[in-house]
Amino acid sequence: MKTSDNTHRGPLADIAAIVAREWRTIATSYAILLVLIGGIFVYGLLYNYMYAPNLIRNAPVAVVDMSQSALSREYARLIDAAPQTSVYTAAPGFPQAKELMKKGEVIGIVYIPDDFEERVGRGDESVFVMYGSTDAFLFYLAMQEASAGAMLELDARHRPEMVVFLPQDDVQAITQTPAITVAGTALYNHTEGYGSYLIPAVLMVIIFQTLLMVIGMISGDERGSGSIRRFAAGGLSLGRLARIVAGKTFVYVMLYALFAVFLLGLMPVVFNLPDIGHAYEIAMLMIPYLVATSFFGLAASVFFTDSEAPLLMIAFFSVGLIFLSGVSYPLELMPWYWQAAHYVFPAAPGTLAFVKINSMGASMADIRPEYVTLWVQCAVYFVLACLAYRHNIRRAFRPDSGHEQKKSSAR
Amino acid sequence: MSDTQRHSAFGAVLRREWRRMTSRPLYLGVCVALPLFCVFFMATIFGSGQMERIPIGVVDLDWTATSRDITRTVSAVPTFAVTEHYADQQSARQAVQQKKIYGYLVIPQNFETDVLGGRQATLSYYYHYALLSVGSEVRGAFETVLRPLAMGPIVTEAVALGVSENAVENFLVPVTAQSHPLYNPDLDYSVYLSNPFFFILFQVIILLVTVYAVGSEIKFRTGDAWLAAARGNILTAVAAKLLPYTVIFILIGIFGNYVMFGVMHIPFSCGFWPLNLTTALFVVATQALGVFLFSIFPAISIIISIVSMVGSLGATLSGVTFPAPFMFGPVYYASFLFPVRHFVEINQNLLYGDYGFAYTWQNVAALFAFLAVALLLLPRLKRAILSHRYENIR
Repeated sequence: MKTSDNTHRGPLADIAAIVAREWRTIATSYAILLVLIGGIFVYGLLYNYMYAPNLIRNAPVAVVDMSQSALSREYARLIDAAPQTSVYTAAPGFPQAKELMKKGEVIGIVYIPDDFEERVGRGDESVFVMYGSTDAFLFYLAMQEASAGAMLELDARHRPEMVVFLPQDDVQAITQTPAITVAGTALYNHTEGYGSYLIPAVLMVIIFQTLLMVIGMISGDERGSGSIRRFAAGGLSLGRLARIVAGKTFVYVMLYALFAVFLLGLMPVVFNLPDIGHAYEIAMLMIPYLVATSFFGLAASVFFTDSEAPLLMIAFFSVGLIFLSGVSYPLELMPWYWQAAHYVFPAAPGTLAFVKINSMGASMADIRPEYVTLWVQCAVYFVLACLAYRHNIRRAFRPDSGHEQKKSSAR
Repeated sequence: MSDTQRHSAFGAVLRREWRRMTSRPLYLGVCVALPLFCVFFMATIFGSGQMERIPIGVVDLDWTATSRDITRTVSAVPTFAVTEHYADQQSARQAVQQKKIYGYLVIPQNFETDVLGGRQATLSYYYHYALLSVGSEVRGAFETVLRPLAMGPIVTEAVALGVSENAVENFLVPVTAQSHPLYNPDLDYSVYLSNPFFFILFQVIILLVTVYAVGSEIKFRTGDAWLAAARGNILTAVAAKLLPYTVIFILIGIFGNYVMFGVMHIPFSCGFWPLNLTTALFVVATQALGVFLFSIFPAISIIISIVSMVGSLGATLSGVTFPAPFMFGPVYYASFLFPVRHFVEINQNLLYGDYGFAYTWQNVAALFAFLAVALLLLPRLKRAILSHRYENIR
């Protein structure tokens, strides 16, 4: 097997040799294959499965009914009938209901005071009180929707009875004045589900994180084992470094183009995620996304000194990337430095652009800021990746360099 | 082995580990810099924590005193910042598509004439639900501000006829709800997420550092020297090796708690000790899970990628975002295999009311169980080190 790189080869042959070598590295490493299979296929399926329930349905609620009247029972039935909640128990008193909440058996308490029906009966405003736990905002949201819906329904049912409390002469005029209709419409994500909102973003972050891990493992291993020196055979001119970076990126992009079809093409269809984007736009987005991510990873390889250490620096930040993308919390409300960080990691604009395309049906014009950002990142990180590789190769030739394992084994 | 011998063995491994840690900048980076970065990130990412001044648009097709009045009312809502006025719905819709605004209100043509003439008039608002968390805030704020407006014409008519405002409101809304979000009355995102998410990021780091610290002995073939320093006792070897990390991580955890509760003034109901003892127990349990997972198959290059995935799952399975009891059965039960889930349960109990140990003892016990399970596999780890079988797996 010929391992030394031939300096007299043409540039394309040189790239081809680098590509072939990179393929072999990936295909012969259990660890890398595990990240690819585990990260892409297992994770892609698992995340979808975990969030597949999508909505809070029939969350247990305790009803403390001090009124014990027909009206209060009607109200409790409405709470029970709401899709978001179901009545877990009609607790005899507030302390008992609170106990259930402490145990986590109910997510909230509806308290109906003892004069609930009386007040309606004498034409006063009647009040019920809803306490919701906030340890998950979705719980509180579910409870609020259920109690507000039950309230509107109860009001509509009993309004005709309240007419008796208005002066007889004016009833006609008042009841015939129409109220202004208020109509709220959710744009996109018509299921209003949590999974269908979060998963598209997660899929893009999975692509970013696993690709970064693979690059980290490969480039870290090159430095840890010293095999990075083989690149020095072709010289360290910028053209040669560009060929190294291009050859490696070619492999990553080819591989991930395939995975992207699985994650972004198949998963939304199988799991009923929002999928209103056009394949053309997604493909156009993925080109700069994968290229920028590869260059970013190669540029970051200055920090990767062996094949495992990079994972320590990459894996923890998946959640942070979803925040930085602006999908889960509005960018406008973050401090300026995190808004700036949005433009540093390719995952942030990439994820946002994908959500825009596939969940919102955006066109290329609508994702212009993200798209331009990604291409600028491509340019910047390409230069940085070349410099990083030059730095790494030179360091590998320094006598004191990159031999942690020797140092520690000497001990 | 006598007691003094065991102590000297413990000290020897400890000193050896300290030299290993200080020999590479990597350790300083991942044990100190990254966790501190996480504290900073989670403490600052939500800004003020309130969903305030969310950009929205108004499409006023009416251009009358009434429509301007409604626009002013909407602009005065603290949740909203009306950043743009659009001439038609098409451009407002386009702006939502580009995520310039998160929702918009449409006041139709002839709105004022219809309202004054007693005809049906409609106010439509649209909110962004592909970005669900913002969208639900926008919807809530629109509902709060527009519902009272909707009753406006009837109230005006009734008051003109001499009926008291109170009487007509009681007629319109005989039953009212009072909603009380417990413990977090402002529905503040920092209060809700900063603390649990810091620990979710932190546990990934703890797991990986633990696996790396133990696994690098096998990878760099120093396992024999490590065991020799511990005089062949694997428990001493592992305990002394991980002790420096335990101390560092606990200190960082306490620092994180201090930043969130001391500096950011996130409310909490328990005292110093319950909070930080829970943090300490969580650090140790997470390390134990790391040792356990590594001992199953002690080849670092394979197991570290698995552990990084296990760690990332913690974000979902902690149940902070989507409540775990509403996930499918297998996922719900699997979530108990993650220390972070128990930790979040205990911590939420401590922060949201401090109900007492009676409500959290199962979770505390589970965290201790992680330790016991890790101990069970230590003999296997020792055999693996001595056999040298896992050194060449890549």
